[in-house]
Amino acid sequence: MLTPALRIASKDLRLSLRGAQGLAQTALLGLLLIFVFSLSRKPGDPVPALAAAAIFWLSSLFAQVLVFNGLYSLEENNGARLGLAMAPMPPQAVWLGKALAGITLLLVCQCVFALAVAAFLGQSVEGSPLVGVAAVVTVDVGLAALGSLMGALASGKSSRESLLTVVFFPLIIPVLLAGIRLLEGVLTAGEGASLDWLGMAAAFAAVFSAAAIVLFPHLYTGEE
Amino acid sequence: MLRLTSVAKFYGERLVFKGVDLELRPGRVLMVVGANGAGKSTLLRVMAGLSRPSAGELSCSLDKGQMAYLGHQTFIYPEDTALENLRFWTGLYGLGLGDEALEAALERVGLKKFSQERAGHFSRGMAQRLNLARVFCIAPRLLFLDEPDTGLDEASRAILHQEIERAGQGERSVVWVSHHLERDLAKADEVLHLDRGRVAYHGPVAGFDASVMAGASTC
Repeated sequence: MLTPALRIASKDLRLSLRGAQGLAQTALLGLLLIFVFSLSRKPGDPVPALAAAAIFWLSSLFAQVLVFNGLYSLEENNGARLGLAMAPMPPQAVWLGKALAGITLLLVCQCVFALAVAAFLGQSVEGSPLVGVAAVVTVDVGLAALGSLMGALASGKSSRESLLTVVFFPLIIPVLLAGIRLLEGVLTAGEGASLDWLGMAAAFAAVFSAAAIVLFPHLYTGEE
Repeated sequence: MLRLTSVAKFYGERLVFKGVDLELRPGRVLMVVGANGAGKSTLLRVMAGLSRPSAGELSCSLDKGQMAYLGHQTFIYPEDTALENLRFWTGLYGLGLGDEALEAALERVGLKKFSQERAGHFSRGMAQRLNLARVFCIAPRLLFLDEPDTGLDEASRAILHQEIERAGQGERSVVWVSHHLERDLAKADEVLHLDRGRVAYHGPVAGFDASVMAGASTC
């Protein structure tokens, strides 16, 4: 499963970066969100770390929805989805490939968002940057696991695109909460509680990866 | 190679077809005909394992990697070059073909000089020829054709038909949905005629009365 998944991820990244306007729009939307929130404070006043972390993850969530809509739409224009369904590989390879490509694109966007949070919201990292990176990657794995599953559900019908947002956001609340608390801990050096949240984010990623492995074939190759 | 026993397909309560019994042997070309909405494409999808039958049994002695599908849709990624498209699809099939082999496939469909061009710049005919090159590379033992020449110019159609005829030789079998009976029927060995959800005829081409299709739009 890993080899075809890597081929799909590599192809998706190549196509996403080649038609880079999609990625640029995604990053710009997140930047705009961070900038607009920065207007809610008086000049010179710091934004509370908890609020800054929430804004960072909100931007990441919007980026996540756009990234997975874009990745699954690559197969829709010329029926390549049918080709993937007929290829000799488990259907879950598509889920994994899209998740790997999605997490890479999301991390690229988050590098931009992190700089914007520092610049517009006046934040600095007081805690361990290593824990920060581990936190972002762990939460992103959960986001990608669920995002790739929901992307398959939403792809193919334009009327379903809003479904991704509607279904995705309520499900994502636990890992979102973990991401916010973890990031707050990294920004304020309050790491004591953070490791519990890291465990929760890891558990979320594991649960939704397992769910995706079971459900994805029905969603992607199932009947309309 | 492929056997269907009393296969039926429903969407909810709506019958698409029922009572399909057939056995496809190696080297045979089966043409599936019928009017609009007769269930030809759905039958093809069921045979290809892309859709589950609602009733009956389907058994196939081939692996997924030994089957290929060529339909209206071209499966191309417009932002990739012709060569990158082939590299991706053959990679998924684990074929490990080098660029020389891929370019040979492109040459066979008259696209070698466009190998480095983005497939999104191709005409419909060129895109479908690229799709055909994909099928050549896979070299399937069972090929499903769902009106693959829809929207093609004469030159592209000629290349396609030449290759379909080659495909039907040897051990390779073809299941072909066509709406050009007068032109394509002679290339088939057997006919399966679907009419209002039932098999109206299944047997050798020689025994099929094509005039029963006259007047019916068979797209």
